[in-house]
Amino acid sequence: MTSKKDCAKRLGIYLLIAFAFGALLIVLRKPMESSQTVSFIVAELFCASPAIASLITRAVTREEFRDMKLHLNLTGNLRYYLLAFALPCIGVAAMYLVPVTAAGHSSWLSGFTLTNVLACVMILAGQAALVSVGLLGEELGWRGYMNQKMQPLFGTAGTCLIGGIVWGAWHFPIDIANYLAGSGTLRYSLETAFGRLALLTCFGVFLMWLTQKTGSVFPAVVAHFIYNASQNAVMMLLEQGNIPEDADLEGFTGTFEYVPFLIMGAVFMVLLLRDKKKTPETA
Amino acid sequence: MTGLVYKEWKQNRFFILMMIACGLLPFVMILYNREIVTNPEEMSNFRIICTVIAFLAAGCIQTMVLQGDDRKIWGYWITAAPDGYCGFIRVKYEMVFAMIVLFVTSLRMFDELFCAAAADKGWELTSSMSTFAIPLAFLQVLLRATDIPFTLRYGNKKGGIIKLIYCILFVIIISVLVLTNAGNIDVILFETGEKLFTEDNLTLALGILCVIALAAYYISYRISCRVYLKGVEQYDK
Repeated sequence: MTSKKDCAKRLGIYLLIAFAFGALLIVLRKPMESSQTVSFIVAELFCASPAIASLITRAVTREEFRDMKLHLNLTGNLRYYLLAFALPCIGVAAMYLVPVTAAGHSSWLSGFTLTNVLACVMILAGQAALVSVGLLGEELGWRGYMNQKMQPLFGTAGTCLIGGIVWGAWHFPIDIANYLAGSGTLRYSLETAFGRLALLTCFGVFLMWLTQKTGSVFPAVVAHFIYNASQNAVMMLLEQGNIPEDADLEGFTGTFEYVPFLIMGAVFMVLLLRDKKKTPETA
Repeated sequence: MTGLVYKEWKQNRFFILMMIACGLLPFVMILYNREIVTNPEEMSNFRIICTVIAFLAAGCIQTMVLQGDDRKIWGYWITAAPDGYCGFIRVKYEMVFAMIVLFVTSLRMFDELFCAAAADKGWELTSSMSTFAIPLAFLQVLLRATDIPFTLRYGNKKGGIIKLIYCILFVIIISVLVLTNAGNIDVILFETGEKLFTEDNLTLALGILCVIALAAYYISYRISCRVYLKGVEQYDK
């Protein structure tokens, strides 16, 4: 049985390594700006850093490599894989479309024809099966390691909240990259960072629920991939619409974009807590 | 199930790791021939050829992992194991799919690295992943979906020959239909192609290909489960 002290130690080492890779994005900013090759290598290292950090921590603390949740566990869990595909798709679509519709600009959505939407969904489905594995670099660390170490320390609700904030904070170097490069304001960078923090905290609850239900990180990998890829797909479809160049949504409608994931986070938090109550306490 | 995964890894780890090398192949070929290619347009065409070669090499290696298990004694033994022959076949399918995923990931990584290096030289290149590599990957899934049931049903050598005979028969039938224009097939094929591959429908057609390939792979697994025991009876003959 792993003690709380061990968990805290392992969590500390893990976070230190993961965030050290994040710091690379700031430290190596100059060479990254001047060379695409350096930029690519550092970005790839950064994306894989949670997985690298979890492997290093396991090796350093002599923890076994057994419970890495790398089994697909498809039998009996296909519905979770389907949910991992469908829910982020719906969430992201709602995130972009609800504010546009609420502001009364439905005419901007002319690119959302049945053919276009079907094509996007099918391509996303195909890509989720073949290309999503790249996200294993993140999920092996956050859901496959960090959450496991956090749960004995902070409980389920605490893990969702603190884990989500840590996950969002890890993205901070990306959010301030434009500001550091001199092409954006600090206010905009901070808005992006805190917006992402809120979204990822809510979305992280769903990913944690998927991982706990299936005992595998792969549904979380699929869901994370769909969350990223469907944002591009929705933007692509929006670009096909009749959006004026000076388009701007009214201030209050912008807050609607957080609603779908806020609801998702709340629902899955309740489900996680309910599951925890059902599980008998072990000595 | 873990035992079967372990067995496949021990038996085929060389082929599995070769997938990474296959992804690196276009990169190496381009570096080796860097003096022949002098402008971005030539480079784009050369990359297409290199990527197709990499896909062919990866495809050959993927079929190699099917060798070695076409023995009667193994067939009987695995049928009596807790996961049964369906578990064995499932792990085979998962492994072949994982090999395709590993190859595509490796190809994407090295391709994007090459594009980044080319950008530093002032050459604007588009990543092959966003153009032709993804359709080729799904074609590879579709090809493996046809390979595996033949190998499991007829054994490795015989399965290859029988698959070849079926392919030749299919090509002959289609050629005869097109040449004789039976049932106005020329017009039907042309019109369908024209409707399907318009600029508006191209993305949808690609999406349908993706889903068909994945569905075919699953159906292929179900077929393999059905025919495996019949095949075992014919092994070692």
